[in-house]
Amino acid sequence: MAGTVAIRVGGGRNRHTSGKTESAFVRWTLISLALGFLAFFLFLPLILVFTYAFGQGVKTYFAALTEPDALSAIRLTLITAAIAVPLNTVFGVAASWAIAKFEFKGKNILITLIDLPFAISPIIAGLIFVLLFGARGWFGPWLVENDIRIIFATPGIVLATMFVTFPFVARELIPLMQAQGNEEELSALTLGSNGWQMFWRVTLPNIKWGLLYGVILCNARAMGEFGAVSVVSGHIRGLTNTMPLHIEVLYNDYRFTASFAVASLLAFLAFITLIVKSLVEWNVSREHMLAVRESESEQS
Amino acid sequence: MSIEVQSISKTFGKFKALDNISLTVGGGRLTALLGPSGSGKTTLLRIMAGLEYADPGSGKILFHDEDVVNTHVRHRRVGFVFQHYALFRHMTVFNNVAFGLRVKRRSERPSKEDIRNRVHELLGLVQLDGLAARYPHQLSGGQRQRVALARALAVQPKVLLLDEPFGALDAKVRKELRAWLRRLHDDLGITSVFVTHDQDEALEVADEVVVMSQGRIEQVGTPDDVFHHPKTEFVMRFLGEVNTFHGRVDSGRVQFGPLDAPYPHSQQQITGEARVFVRPHDVTIDTKTNGLTAMSAIVKRIHSAGSSVRVEVLTAADQTLVAELSQDRFASMQIETGSTVYIRPRHIRVFA
Repeated sequence: MAGTVAIRVGGGRNRHTSGKTESAFVRWTLISLALGFLAFFLFLPLILVFTYAFGQGVKTYFAALTEPDALSAIRLTLITAAIAVPLNTVFGVAASWAIAKFEFKGKNILITLIDLPFAISPIIAGLIFVLLFGARGWFGPWLVENDIRIIFATPGIVLATMFVTFPFVARELIPLMQAQGNEEELSALTLGSNGWQMFWRVTLPNIKWGLLYGVILCNARAMGEFGAVSVVSGHIRGLTNTMPLHIEVLYNDYRFTASFAVASLLAFLAFITLIVKSLVEWNVSREHMLAVRESESEQS
Repeated sequence: MSIEVQSISKTFGKFKALDNISLTVGGGRLTALLGPSGSGKTTLLRIMAGLEYADPGSGKILFHDEDVVNTHVRHRRVGFVFQHYALFRHMTVFNNVAFGLRVKRRSERPSKEDIRNRVHELLGLVQLDGLAARYPHQLSGGQRQRVALARALAVQPKVLLLDEPFGALDAKVRKELRAWLRRLHDDLGITSVFVTHDQDEALEVADEVVVMSQGRIEQVGTPDDVFHHPKTEFVMRFLGEVNTFHGRVDSGRVQFGPLDAPYPHSQQQITGEARVFVRPHDVTIDTKTNGLTAMSAIVKRIHSAGSSVRVEVLTAADQTLVAELSQDRFASMQIETGSTVYIRPRHIRVFA
């Protein structure tokens, strides 16, 4: 994110180095290529999703969204995100705090571990939980004895989602916190604040935009995750299907309109996420610009 | 309030940052910890503050006879000014200075009104009262430094610790701020310790200078003391430019090159191989021998754009020496590059 800001700020300066720009032909070819690619692979599918969704009228569209199975899928997706995102926010902040502000043995291993969910296939992530908590898994017999259901139930879906979305917050915060160092925190301590005051008054305000950005990405993935959730869910209609799984079920049942209707809702959620994300980015760069402008006007 | 450091050691992995350090910082004084990078001066300062812990079981830190080794930094009541100020970047100058007052326990916290008065009083003290609503990034380096100082003073610390307080400033601001800090210290009388690698800064500002090297204290003394009576070769070299000779000490006399001088009686007596040090301003240049023992040399370079004139000469033994003389004396001598001159040290120091 910091990179984006820097590029935008630097843009003003680069305008003067016109000797380096390509010829008009090359520029327009490259731009139309890029736009054509985007149109074909991004906008066209999106438009198709909405076209199919509304293909049999608004009535059918809303019927598809309000049938019990769809409502249950939406509810489960929201519940999953509502549990996974806050927990991952707390874990992410804690992990980045530890990594950025302290020196300890095994720090590199911890960083690698945080990246692990990015590196392995979501299917394997799902399988891990089946192997751990499934009926024949390690903890399976004990769970059955105590009548606790994890796999093919909401807890399993939440666990798999948390695993897959774990890196988003931490990845966003670690570089930011490392760049900021810990001197402000130490200052706060010498001024008599306790750890809690230090965190809420100094650390959190300094990382708030990065944190929000990470949370948004984490949320987007939590709602859209398919692979890992698919393995642990068991596809019980109206019970353990999340929105992505429900879409697949509908599609396999040849109920294309309904399938695309739910897909459009998911796309709509993604759309909102994108808008919020852009707003955050815009806000950060605006704050940065204001800061630069103010300090410049100060000196002149 | 005095600070007493008793046999403190600190190791980072295999690196000994502090090697059994003992030191007493007088109450109400301004003390400089002076040394090159890696000498342990900042580590010592951070241990005094409680930002770093000394090796377990290694010694004590006493604040006015009270052991604070196990006191957490937030209860030590030290004002600490970081090298890069560490101002809270998302807070205005006012809120930065008010921070220490606002985080106090409810029972000790001053009223809003009192906080405002105290902050403005402090901002007046550091001459920044008009800038209370600014953010740190809108301030110059010197202004940030003073905000950091005001913020540290807000909680009425018992000692003030400053890490390279002028390190990040440009030369002119640095000079001004030095003199200002000295005046501020005289007004407040708070026990202060600052770290620096700049000998001029230490000698000019401090009441007492602690010269450090490789985790040890080389010498403690007034600026006059350490400059004029260095106890070790390191102090001699670190506090200013020197010309070095290899020589021999024998029955009360020092021989180096073609020269010979009585052994300086103020120093501890040694015999045998020794190194002889002469500061450039203690070197006399003559155009004639005057019948005294002197070293002949050829002028290589003259640097006269300054308050004094620096003359670099090459001796017959192929050694480059530096002499410093006044503009008046230089004008009366009429030497130029290539002239033959006679060099005579007026004042020498000898270390084994």
